[in-house]
Amino acid sequence: MFQANPLRLYLACIRNTLEAAMCLQNFPCQEVERHNKPEVELKTSPELLLNPVLICRNEAEKCLIETSINSLRISLKVKQADELENILTKKFLRFLSMRAEAFQVLRRKPVQGYDISFLITNYHCEEMQKQKLIDFIIQFMEARYRERNKRVEDISEHQRKTGGYRVSETVHVKQLSCYNKFRDLFCKSGKSPLELLFTSIPTAKPESGEAGLKGARHDEE
Amino acid sequence: MAVVDVHRFAESITCHAWSPDHSMVAFCPNNNEVHIYKSVQDQWERLHVLEKHDQIVSGIDWSSKSNKIVTVSHDRNSYVWSLEGGEWVPTLVILRLNRAALCVQWGPKASYLFSHIQFPLENKFAVGSGAKTVCICYYEQENNWWVSKLIRKRHESSVTSVAWHPNNILLATTSTDGKCRVFSTFIKGVDVKDPKAGSPAESKFGEQILQLDLSYSWAFGVKWSPSGNTLAYVGHSSMIYFVDDVGPSPLAQSVAFRDLPLRDVLFISEKMVIGVGYDSNPMVFAADDTGIWSFVRYIGEKKAVSSGSSYSSQFSEAFTKFYGQSKATTANDGSESSKSRGGVHDNCINSVVPLSKAGSPKVMRFSTSGQSLIQN
Repeated sequence: MFQANPLRLYLACIRNTLEAAMCLQNFPCQEVERHNKPEVELKTSPELLLNPVLICRNEAEKCLIETSINSLRISLKVKQADELENILTKKFLRFLSMRAEAFQVLRRKPVQGYDISFLITNYHCEEMQKQKLIDFIIQFMEARYRERNKRVEDISEHQRKTGGYRVSETVHVKQLSCYNKFRDLFCKSGKSPLELLFTSIPTAKPESGEAGLKGARHDEE
Repeated sequence: MAVVDVHRFAESITCHAWSPDHSMVAFCPNNNEVHIYKSVQDQWERLHVLEKHDQIVSGIDWSSKSNKIVTVSHDRNSYVWSLEGGEWVPTLVILRLNRAALCVQWGPKASYLFSHIQFPLENKFAVGSGAKTVCICYYEQENNWWVSKLIRKRHESSVTSVAWHPNNILLATTSTDGKCRVFSTFIKGVDVKDPKAGSPAESKFGEQILQLDLSYSWAFGVKWSPSGNTLAYVGHSSMIYFVDDVGPSPLAQSVAFRDLPLRDVLFISEKMVIGVGYDSNPMVFAADDTGIWSFVRYIGEKKAVSSGSSYSSQFSEAFTKFYGQSKATTANDGSESSKSRGGVHDNCINSVVPLSKAGSPKVMRFSTSGQSLIQN
């Protein structure tokens, strides 16, 4: 609970910045005729880009918001206290990124130096409500924090019960019993935190969220 | 001012225009078609669908005198449609653009050139484009098409909005490089030189008369006041700029307002301007007797206006039309802290169009779209 207040401030700051930054409009490409590209990815016309905003909670947790005339990119970096969290975060975020189509606003690869990135274009703002998109991003971040804390607790408990494995980077991931627990926790359908993430997508077509859920495969190594 | 009428035509409307008698409306439902609806006993019926463009139609204007519709699109094309025998027939416009067209406006209806004699005009229209140029198009009788002259210089980025001065010569443009420029668009053989004005600098086509550097961010939505004395445009930094006495020594004012930026403005009278934008709630700006412009109120709110007495008569007279984007509302998960924005529109408002009676200098009605509201 001691984390709640600073977290709330951080999320409130991100929310306010997103409300100001998410003023997007349809804008055809100036470089290529008949094309319409997200200018924040293209970056060829500097006059169409706005100043990026970096919101730092501390050195390890930050949020970069880059805006342009027709698109917005949000990149998040979350804190990883130890190696275990590092592995968990990477696995989880890679799992999500591979299913980026289901999320629509998720970017397949995070921006260099960050853990996960979202790309919101004017088409998303036309189809979905701006407030709902912002709520989605904030809820995603809240869920991440909750999940991470819970996962670390579960795995520590499991470690205790199985006689205290030391998780070190030399141990191959597959041999960790906690990896199996990770697979059970994340890859089983119907788990509530993932449901939150998959079905709270603010889209007019709710079935795309369920299709994403049903289509989830674990094809990690 | 209050909302008089709400119509939900489509999910999302890019741009719209009213017919001269205000019984029909043409709009683009965020695709490559133009739909024309007619109001029949309080119901709206779709009359025509104009399908000629390949990409989204970014600008529509309906001329009042000659009943022609001009449409421009992101596919670099433009067509002038005229009603022949109940069908809309397109005429090619040679735009010579190599990028998308962003906005279009017919020239002014009439010019009071010799103080009391009205010259029927609407012989030119202007198109702003992503090719950093402005096309001024006029009709060539012998070949039965519209040709264009390009203003190639000066713009450093896409031209987002164009506005004609009532004298049919001056054209104001805004661009994503943050500047507002005024050009002369005198075309020999099409325009009549005004013997009264007699300023030689204005008689060369493409000559830049003025460049306004007021905005740090992108500029949109430029409009002239009905007399042509004042210019208003918005910047993306939540500012609106008013320029009086446009000429060699203009007087510029910047008004900063809170909340999100505007997209378009409209002069209801010489002293009152409506702004629409990302807030989904139109804003009213007014100039007091000393000429200082300020924000008055939102249209959606019922707050009492302190300086209301001098404006109330204008309020009751003024109607205008806005068009905006709407979106299908989805089921809310009951999350906290999602503010509900101003009443009628769900999403940002794209443009505002006047519904004035022909010949009258005052704008009486306006509407916004997404859903189309006719506001009193």
